[in-house]
Amino acid sequence: MKKNNDKIALRRLRSSYATTVVSITLVLFLVGIVGILALTSKQLSDYVKENINVTVMLKDNVKDVDVKYIQKNLDASSFVKSTKYVSKDEAAKELQEELGEEFTDFLGYNPLLSSIDVKVYADYANVDSLAVIEKQLLKNSQVKEVFYQKSLIQLVNENVKKISFFFLVFSGLLFLISITLINNTIRLSVYSKRFIINTMQLVGATRSFIRIPFLGKSILQGFISAVLAIGLLIIVIYYLQQEAYEIVSFSDLRLISALFIIVIIIGILISLISTFFSVNKYLKIKSHNLYL
Amino acid sequence: MSNDNIISIKNASIFQQDTLVLKDIDLEISKNEFVYLIGKVGSGKSSLIKMLNAEIPLNNGTANVVGYEMSKIKRRQIPYLRRHIGVVFQDFQLLTDRNIKANLEFVLKATGWSKKNKISERIKEVLDKVGMIDKILKMPNTLSGGEQQRVVIARALLNNPPLILADEPTGNLDPETSEEIIKVLQEISKKECAVVVATHNYNLLKSFPSRTIKCENKIITEIDKKKNVIDFEII
Repeated sequence: MKKNNDKIALRRLRSSYATTVVSITLVLFLVGIVGILALTSKQLSDYVKENINVTVMLKDNVKDVDVKYIQKNLDASSFVKSTKYVSKDEAAKELQEELGEEFTDFLGYNPLLSSIDVKVYADYANVDSLAVIEKQLLKNSQVKEVFYQKSLIQLVNENVKKISFFFLVFSGLLFLISITLINNTIRLSVYSKRFIINTMQLVGATRSFIRIPFLGKSILQGFISAVLAIGLLIIVIYYLQQEAYEIVSFSDLRLISALFIIVIIIGILISLISTFFSVNKYLKIKSHNLYL
Repeated sequence: MSNDNIISIKNASIFQQDTLVLKDIDLEISKNEFVYLIGKVGSGKSSLIKMLNAEIPLNNGTANVVGYEMSKIKRRQIPYLRRHIGVVFQDFQLLTDRNIKANLEFVLKATGWSKKNKISERIKEVLDKVGMIDKILKMPNTLSGGEQQRVVIARALLNNPPLILADEPTGNLDPETSEEIIKVLQEISKKECAVVVATHNYNLLKSFPSRTIKCENKIITEIDKKKNVIDFEII
């Protein structure tokens, strides 16, 4: 029976550590998610920008040789990510599918022009660069028109700016929240030991002697939490890799490991610093104030 | 420390958060003495004990406790003062998160013991003195009040202190257990050190008479030993 009691007391102690570790883990996980978002935000915005279509309309009856020449030229230029030739017939087919009507039949001819769909790199997907590119393309006599949605491009760029700003504010906020949450959790666990801290002082232990085991435990706690959080992050990264490999890739292992190291450092530092201050608080407090 | 006095207080007053609790304290306690400190709740017994233990500061007068001048003591010196004083509390105050052995181990390690076999030897010695050797691996919450108090006394003895302060050591115990605890403390005082016991359990004074100091109306008075027995009702 008594042995049982001992075990219960020990289990209760362990579960209180576990609670602290779990809370720190979850907060660090959130921090890590923000980190992953930050790492992939450029990729995400690039993905959106590089999906903007610039259509180069070619003149009617353009020769295949000319088309190939233009396409090759485009492919060779630094701003082009990919090109796709859409012939007259293909364009008609696409339109037919969209309209659900054989419009060439009642028109008697195909009014569409062949074109080259160009996707430019994210760095050039803004109004200014595209204007220059447009001018250059129009120099070619076979090019009839260069078409892209100016308003869409402006919108995309503005939104990317807005989203990045909100993201920055959000992650700053989240970081503050995480510090507060971890700090609270730790303060609570130290608070539960305030009488023990007081007793330790009364039996002649110096402040630093009392502090050291607390700090050691806090480093361990922070480290374990960080490792657990990293485990969760790896699952998230794996999932993203599987489901959204077109948009994001985590090929840069250095960045990922840097993120993990930052998570470990944040975990240990926050845990250590808040333990230090909470323990100090109860080291300094007068014993009759312990009951408050 | 002049001559054999473990405690010598002159002209001291004690404040508990700006309120005067005791004034004009003149008190000398020498080696191997067993002293009762009596008085009503709030009469300043605990404050006096707390001053001796540097839990509350001494503002006026001088007090020399185990060689430390309490009016000049620095915060850094307090842990070292406390290594020369064993403390026993009404509410035991064992470290509830570890077993008896680890409790005593903590005190020894905190006071500079480093050799493992010496530590466990000393722990066995003191637990043997209070008859608690078979409870060495128990958690504090699984022990009875009397057993916990014995462990606390063992803890107080660890560093062979010249002084043991006991603030209501029997306050939470039944009369029989209280007597046992006082017996243990008196035995210790004969062999090892001075013991100051604050109590309002006057039955103990009858059964185990000794030098008695009374706190009343903010002053302390020595109770005459001969009168002591007769005037019990007056106290």
